[in-house]
Amino acid sequence: MNISYNWLKDLVKIDLSPQELATKLTSVGLAVEGIHEAGDDFVFDIDITSNRGDCLSHLGVSREIAAITNAQLRIADYDSQKPANDRNLVSIQDADLCNRFTARVIHNVKITHSPEWLVKRLEAVGERSINNVADITNYVMHELGQPMHSFDLNKLSENRIVVRRARTGETIKTLDEVERKLDETMLAICDAKKPVAVAGVMGGFDSAISDETTHVLLEVAYFDRANIRQTSRNFKLSTEASHHFERGVDIENLIRASNRATELICELAGGTAGEFVDVYPTKFTPNEIESEDIQFAVKRLTGLEVESNEILRIFAALGITFAIRTPKTTTFTTPSWRHDLAIEEDLVEEVARIVGYDKIGEELPSAFGAGEYQPTESRKKSLRRTLVNLGFNEAISYSFIDTRHDERFDLIPSFVVENLDEKYVSLEDSIIEGATRMRPSLLSGLLDAVRTNLNHQRRDLKLFEIGKVFSASEKENDLPNERELFALVLTGNETLQNKAMPLREFDFYDAKGALEAAASAMNLPALDFHPKDVSHLRRGQSAEISLGGKAVGTIGRLNDEISAAYKFRQPVFVTEVDLETLLEAKEKTILYQPLPVYPSIVRDVSLLVKRDVSFADVQRTIAEQKFELCRKIEFVDVYEGAGVADDQRSITIRLEYRSDERTLLEEEVETIHGQILKVLETNLNAKQRF
Amino acid sequence: MSEEKKQIEQIRQSFQTAFAGFVHLHKEIKDLTLADAESYQRELAELKTKHTGKKSELANSKKLIGRVAPEERGAFGSFVQSIEREITTAIEEAETNLKNFIADAKIERERLDVTLPGTQPREGHLHLLTILRQKIEDIFVSMGYSIEDDREIETDYYNFDALNIPEGHPARESQDTFYTTNGFALRSQTSTVQIRAMERRGVPIRIIAPGRVFRRDTPDLTHTPMFHQIEGLCVDKNITMAHLKGTVGEWLRRLFGKETRIRLRPSYFPFTEPSAEFDFSCFKCGGTGTFESERCRPCKGSGWIELGGSGMVHPNVLRACNVDPQVYSGFAFGFGLERMCLLMYSLDDIRLMFENDVRFLEQFR
Ligand SMILES: [Zn+2]
Repeated sequence: MNISYNWLKDLVKIDLSPQELATKLTSVGLAVEGIHEAGDDFVFDIDITSNRGDCLSHLGVSREIAAITNAQLRIADYDSQKPANDRNLVSIQDADLCNRFTARVIHNVKITHSPEWLVKRLEAVGERSINNVADITNYVMHELGQPMHSFDLNKLSENRIVVRRARTGETIKTLDEVERKLDETMLAICDAKKPVAVAGVMGGFDSAISDETTHVLLEVAYFDRANIRQTSRNFKLSTEASHHFERGVDIENLIRASNRATELICELAGGTAGEFVDVYPTKFTPNEIESEDIQFAVKRLTGLEVESNEILRIFAALGITFAIRTPKTTTFTTPSWRHDLAIEEDLVEEVARIVGYDKIGEELPSAFGAGEYQPTESRKKSLRRTLVNLGFNEAISYSFIDTRHDERFDLIPSFVVENLDEKYVSLEDSIIEGATRMRPSLLSGLLDAVRTNLNHQRRDLKLFEIGKVFSASEKENDLPNERELFALVLTGNETLQNKAMPLREFDFYDAKGALEAAASAMNLPALDFHPKDVSHLRRGQSAEISLGGKAVGTIGRLNDEISAAYKFRQPVFVTEVDLETLLEAKEKTILYQPLPVYPSIVRDVSLLVKRDVSFADVQRTIAEQKFELCRKIEFVDVYEGAGVADDQRSITIRLEYRSDERTLLEEEVETIHGQILKVLETNLNAKQRF
Repeated sequence: MSEEKKQIEQIRQSFQTAFAGFVHLHKEIKDLTLADAESYQRELAELKTKHTGKKSELANSKKLIGRVAPEERGAFGSFVQSIEREITTAIEEAETNLKNFIADAKIERERLDVTLPGTQPREGHLHLLTILRQKIEDIFVSMGYSIEDDREIETDYYNFDALNIPEGHPARESQDTFYTTNGFALRSQTSTVQIRAMERRGVPIRIIAPGRVFRRDTPDLTHTPMFHQIEGLCVDKNITMAHLKGTVGEWLRRLFGKETRIRLRPSYFPFTEPSAEFDFSCFKCGGTGTFESERCRPCKGSGWIELGGSGMVHPNVLRACNVDPQVYSGFAFGFGLERMCLLMYSLDDIRLMFENDVRFLEQFR
């Protein structure tokens, strides 16, 4: 909002420099974002909050200045003519949307250019001069805050105005030369036959004044705020008029504004004022606010101690009057231009902002109790810390994605209700590119991140993300499901800080190891990994992850199809797990184990097995035998290739034998070790290789 | 006797001839490769065995003493010994020099370039937003606040009604809010958490709610359709705006230093009354607007940084949570984390926050 310093000085006495005034205005809530010089004038760019429609004019800003500096406003009444209530000229059919309508006829005007002073004033506030009548209506809006519209009287059928809801099927070509379809939700200003203006938003093209106009009908009205807002939204058409009406103009200011404009038109366009009609079906009733003790209320909410005389002075300057109707309460009556004052707290703010928020002291509330993090935060912190120490960067991606990811990823078990028509959460009428659905998986974001980084020649990547995913709930009227997941992705090579030469290429076990480290950082029981086909993962390099028998996620190498879609030319490994379920798991309890007293004997053995026999099978088979002295089964190595048949692999394991009572003899160990090998051969067809 | 002495003299002569190639080793050894030095060392060892070993001529020459007249044996013995000493001293000196040279040369050969990079595992980085969120959470937890979060997709009740934004209110009809196809709102501010937390915990309450919020802004340098907010809420008996100012001042001082000053400016939010924007004195120029004699970047020369909105909780909001506004009062404040990052690190493009470009992520810790 542009406000001219010189213009303000016409309306109120100002002893402050533009800079000083800007500081004062900012301190009462009219934030001056900038001041620029315009000839002999200064123009303030003021950011006016949506509740202060009354400040969208020089009069409104002048009132604030008067309240700050205790100066008097200098505004004339412009009551040159009192209106009549002529229902022939104007009739309001929908009074719920039009609370007041005034019309003034001005005869024999000459449409021409405006005088220089008017052009300059308008230019200062950023308005372009059009012609004298249009400029005057614009001028009065900037001065008094009241938008108005001038019609060419001769172009109005039967020379009269009907204010009514538009009918479906009616159209109007507005001043911007757009043909618009009207409907019953919209208020129209009509002549005897058809709409001639969209009320409060924009006038019609055909009824507008032109160089040939001689008789003008000047509309100055008050429209329902919500309705103007709705119409303006529907048309995606925000005008200065709609901006004012939405925020609420001063219904008691209409006559003044009309007279002011008429005076100027008569003066500058040579017209003579004619009929003046004011249709005002429901008289304005001001808000009344009861307060037992406004001085106490100010202190209770702001801590400010303000003398009651000063409070009353501020109220008077702002147009708030008071009456003492009962011994206990005071009734404050708010002025017609303030739509934002309704409760005692609003009055408190008026006092506080005029006294100055800078007068409010700084105190800390008295001690309360210990603060708390979210119960899961400490585990999430160690999860994050561990991954960062392992070289993972933390990603944060948008919560929304587009439809190209639909059905691309196998989602977290039991999160999506599969038989629903619409299992994802979609956004209504989204205008933002890439924002169609709420993500059901974190993988889309992480893979986009991989793509971004590959584009920048960063080929060795480790990323993780913690965030919420979304799915439709089973019952349509329930809020969608939200769940916090954890996912990681790695691709390329293990590298060292500051060394160009990579150590080795990442494989499945790097992803698995990172996930296990993360689980261990959260002190979870061991995760189980079972081979499983997962649609987004390569067959044979994918697994389902479970915790305590409950499936919690998947891990593996991204399949070739998705890799190709992303143009990944190197293997990418991903895992996604249900963090919420992991965080619900009880932390592993730690029990002290007495330290071994007797030495252990260790045997390595390489087993030739079919490829469908897993290390887990070997472990389980040995464990099932419950050999008391076999204390540990460790993985050493796996070998495939020369010397081993294609359908076989060689798994080397290390067995540790130990007793808590005595030092074991070689022969004892040989016996048990032999028994173990025998069981492995019998159950798994595992042959000792060497 | 002279016969024997002559023989000894010959031994000495033949040693000196053999040793001639080693004489220079008595001086400081220079310009010798390690390999040459090692071959000298081997040859010298042979020479030592040959000239001083048990089967050496010198060892044999000791047998000559029997042939010498008894009265001259003393002098002869001393003579032999002096020759022997002369030879072994010459050899040992050369040996020691060589040994030291070889040791030095070996150390030289194994001398490292200590400026080469250490074997350091590659470390990852937390996201800038996590770093800042954790810092701020730590400050507030130490000030007795509890961290809360809740749903990101909300009903209109929590996103609007309970926050005193009734149907028809401009803030509600604004095009800013994302809706799901079945009519739920993506929360447009984390104030939703205030309501849910007050419902759950009752009052008095002191909470901080960090979280994601969504607005239908097309991404540009300063906007993203998703960002993070931190909101604070304190409701108790006798809470005033002075407590708001003191609390906001306290946490900003803990983050930016004790000389930080706070400014409240009147503003408008539906869920607070009175309402205020809060600014703090610029952490870079200390509020002068000038840094290194140029216009300060973070505060654009104003000396103040506008951070967020705040105010006294609107009585309608308290009532929506079954709190009696006659008995309790409270303050709330909120600000955007991304905006704060932009200011603190002079970032010029907020979209970088969600691109996950590791060249960006790795700059922060
Ligand atoms: Zn600064």
